[in-house]
Amino acid sequence: MDLDYNQIMSIGVYGSAIGLILIGLYAVLIKKHLTKIVIGLSIIDAGIHLLFIAIGYIKGGTAPIFSPAGEKIVANGGVMVDPVPQALVLTAIVIGFAVTAVALSLVIRLYRHHQTARIDQIKSLKW
Amino acid sequence: MVVSPVHFIAVPLLAAFLIPLLAKVSKELVRIVPGLVIGYLSVVSVILMTQVVNTGQPIIEVIGGWSPPFGINLVFSAFTGFLVSLMTFMAFLIWIYSYRFKKIDDAPAQKYFILFMMLVTGSTGIVLTGDIFNLFVFMEITAIAAYSLTAFYRDRDGAEAAFKYLLIGSFASALMLLAIVLLYSQVGTLNMAEIAQRIHTVPQGMKITIFTLFVVGLGIEAEMFPLNGWAPDAYSQSPGPVGVAFAALVVKAGVYSLVRVVFTMFDIHGAYEFLIIMGAITMVIAEISALKQTNLKRMLAYSSIGQMGFVLIAFGIGTNAAVFGALFLMFNHAVIKGLLFMSGSYLVYNTPSKEIKDMAGIGKKLPMVSFFFALGALAIVGLPPFSGFWSKLYILMAAADASFYYLMGTILIVSIIEIVYYFRVMGRLYFGKPQNDVVLQKPTLGGIFAMGVLATVIIVIGIHPDFVTGFIQSAADTLLDKAGYINNVLQLTNL
Amino acid sequence: MKKLLVLLLLAVVGYSLITAMMGVKFGENRLGDPQDEKTVSAYYLNNTTQKLSVSNVITAIVVNYRGLDTLGEVSVLFLASLGLGSILYRKHKEGEEEVAILKPSSQLLQAGSKLIFPAILMLGAYVFIHGHLTPGGGFQGGAIIATGFLLMMMAYQDYRVSHSVLVWVESLAGITFAGIGMWGLLLGNTFLENFLPIGTLNNLFSGGIIPIIYIAVGFKVAAELTGVLDTLLNIKDKH
Repeated sequence: MDLDYNQIMSIGVYGSAIGLILIGLYAVLIKKHLTKIVIGLSIIDAGIHLLFIAIGYIKGGTAPIFSPAGEKIVANGGVMVDPVPQALVLTAIVIGFAVTAVALSLVIRLYRHHQTARIDQIKSLKW
Repeated sequence: MVVSPVHFIAVPLLAAFLIPLLAKVSKELVRIVPGLVIGYLSVVSVILMTQVVNTGQPIIEVIGGWSPPFGINLVFSAFTGFLVSLMTFMAFLIWIYSYRFKKIDDAPAQKYFILFMMLVTGSTGIVLTGDIFNLFVFMEITAIAAYSLTAFYRDRDGAEAAFKYLLIGSFASALMLLAIVLLYSQVGTLNMAEIAQRIHTVPQGMKITIFTLFVVGLGIEAEMFPLNGWAPDAYSQSPGPVGVAFAALVVKAGVYSLVRVVFTMFDIHGAYEFLIIMGAITMVIAEISALKQTNLKRMLAYSSIGQMGFVLIAFGIGTNAAVFGALFLMFNHAVIKGLLFMSGSYLVYNTPSKEIKDMAGIGKKLPMVSFFFALGALAIVGLPPFSGFWSKLYILMAAADASFYYLMGTILIVSIIEIVYYFRVMGRLYFGKPQNDVVLQKPTLGGIFAMGVLATVIIVIGIHPDFVTGFIQSAADTLLDKAGYINNVLQLTNL
Repeated sequence: MKKLLVLLLLAVVGYSLITAMMGVKFGENRLGDPQDEKTVSAYYLNNTTQKLSVSNVITAIVVNYRGLDTLGEVSVLFLASLGLGSILYRKHKEGEEEVAILKPSSQLLQAGSKLIFPAILMLGAYVFIHGHLTPGGGFQGGAIIATGFLLMMMAYQDYRVSHSVLVWVESLAGITFAGIGMWGLLLGNTFLENFLPIGTLNNLFSGGIIPIIYIAVGFKVAAELTGVLDTLLNIKDKH
C-alpha cells in the first residue's frame, strides 16, 4: 500500500487524537479511583482539542500572525492555517481546566467524608 | 440607556465580579445585589417582550460590532424571549424564596448567591445566543455553577451527587465539543443560522454522526433517557432552592438547545420520530421509577424527568398545535414543579428521614406548605381547573390531530400512574397520624410569598389560559419559522 | 464481563470516529478562496489587519470577534475558583490538629525558585502585553505567572498569597473587561465594540481595546489560577 505524506500525517494526527479519546474513555469507564477518572476526563478533552487543531491545519500553512515575516510568506502565495479552531481550543482548554479543578475539589470532599477515593467503596447513592 | 438583550449577560457578570468587593463593605449586599440584578433582568425581559410582540420582529443583538456570522449575535425572538422571561421570573421568585433560607446561612452565603446568579446567566445565555460554540460556553457556565451548588451542603451526600453529575456532564460537553468540531470542519461557520443554511451540503453519514453527538450531549442536560442518571441525585442532594432552579432553568435550557438543534439547525428525516420514541421511553420509565420512590425529592425528580419526556414527545409530533402544547407544558412545568419543590423542601426539612412514609399528618402541622404542595400535585397531574390541565389537553388534541393514537393511550396511562403517586403523598400528608407536634423549620416570609405567587399563577392561568396563550402561540410560530430565523439573523450581514 | 462491554463500546466509538474523520481530509484547504470570504476564517484572515490593526489573528478572534466567548470563559474560571471555595469550605472544629500536605523542599529548589521567580513573572507579563503582536496572550501569560507562584508555594511551605489581594485583582480585572464592553454599549455602539483608535499594525499601542482587555484577562487568569492552586495546596487534613 502506497501512502503519501498527507495520508501518513492524517493517520498519525487523527489516529493519536482518536486514540487519546479512547484511552480517556477507557479510564473513565474502567478505573475505580476517582482521581484516575478525573485524569481520564482530561485525556478525552485533550484528544478532542488535538482533533480540533488538526482540522484547522492547511498543508504548508503558517501561523495566522501577520508579523513582518508572516506577511512576506503570505505575499508569496503561501497560506495561513485556519485561526478559528485555535481560538476555540483556547476557550475549550480553559473550560476544561475549570471543570478539572471542580472535579478534584469534589474528590477531596469525598475523600474527607469517606476516607477513601475508590468509587466502589462510596455508595451512599445509587450509581 | 436603552435596554438590550446583552444586559442578560453583561449585567449579571459585572455584578458577579463586583460582589466580592461589595462583600468587604457589607455582607448583606451579597444577598441583595443578585436579587436586584435578577429583578432588573425580569423588567428588561418584559420591556423587550412587549417590543417584540408589538413590532412582530425579533431583536437581533450584534456583539463587538461584527455582524453575523463574523461575530456572535443574540436573538431575542418571541420564542427565546418567552423562555427568558419565564426563566428570569422564576429566578426572581427563587431568590425571594432563598433570601432568608435558614440552611444557606450555615455555609458561605456569599458564594451561594453568586453561583445562583451565574446559573441564571448561563441558562438565559444558552437561550439567547445565536452561536453554537457560545452555547457550549454558556452550557459550561451553567454546568459548573450547578456542580458547585449541588455540593453546597456538607451534611449530605452532595459531593457524591455532584461528582456523578460532573462525570455525566463533562461527558456531555465532550460529545458536544466533538460535534462542534465535526460540524465546523464541514460548514466552516459557527453561526446557527448559517449552519442551518449550509447543512444540506454535508454528506448524509456525517450529518447523522454530528446529529447523534449533539442529541446525546444535549439530551444529558435535558434529562433524556438513558442519560438522566444524574438528575434524581442532584435534585435530592442539592439545597431546596437549587432543585427549583434545576427544574425551572437548567432543564429548560437543555430542552431549548435540543429543540434548536432539531428544529432549526438540522433537516434530518426521522429526527422527529426519534424525539417521540425517546420522549415516550423517558416518560414511561421515569414515571414508573417515580412510583417506586420512597424519598419525596427523588420522586419529584423522576416526575420532572417524566414531564420532560412528555415535552419531547410534544415537540416530536412537530405540528404547530403540538409545539404550542409543548411550550405551554414547559411553562407549566416550571411554575408547578417550582411550587412542588419549594413546598416539598419544607416538608423534607420537617421529616428528618426524608421518607414519604414519615410525613404522615404534616398537613396539620404545616397547613400552608401542605396546601401549596397539594395544589401543585393537583395541577401537575392535569386536573381542571388548574393550568396543568390545559397543556395536557392541548398536547392530547395535537396528538389526536396527527393521529398518534398509541401515544395518546400511553400518555393517559402515564397520567394515571402520576395520579397514583401524587395522591399517595397527599393521603399521607392529610390522613396520616402525626408522630409528634414538633415543627423543625417554619417557612420564611419570602418562601410563603414565592409559593403564594406561583399558586396564584397556577390558578389564574387555569381559569384564564388566554393570559399566556397569545405569547405561547407566537413563540411556537417563531420556532417553526426556520426560514424567518435564518433571514432575520443573516440579513444583518450586508449592513 | 464489564471490561468486555467497555472494549466493545470503545470499538464502536473508535470505528465511528474514524469513519467520520475519513470525510475530513488532513491538511486540506477548507477556507475556500480567501478573496470571496465564504467562510468566517477567510474573512478574519482578510480583514483583521486593516479593520483592527492586530497582527495576531487568533487574538483578534478571541478578544474581539468572539469576545463574548472570552467573557464567558473568564467567568467560567471565576466560577471555578468560587466553586472550589464553596465546595472545600469547612468550619474549624475545636482542638483539631492540622498538618500540611506538602513536604519540606530542598535547599536547591528554595534558592533556585527565588532566582527565577521574578523572571517568570516578567515573561508572563511580556506574553500578555504583546498578545496582539506575537503568539500568546492573556490566558497564556496568566498561566505562566501562576506557575511562578506555584514554584514559590512548592519551595516555601509557609509562602502565602494574600487572599484579599487576589480578590481585588480578580474583581478589578473582571470589572475592566465587562466595563469596557458596557462602555461600548453606552457610547451607542454594540457590546464590546472597539471605541479606541486602532493605531498602526505591529506597534505595541495598536488594536484599540484588544490589548487592554487582554491585559485585564492576563491579571484575572493569573489571580484565579493562583487562587485555585493556593486553595488546593493548603488543604489540611486531620492527622
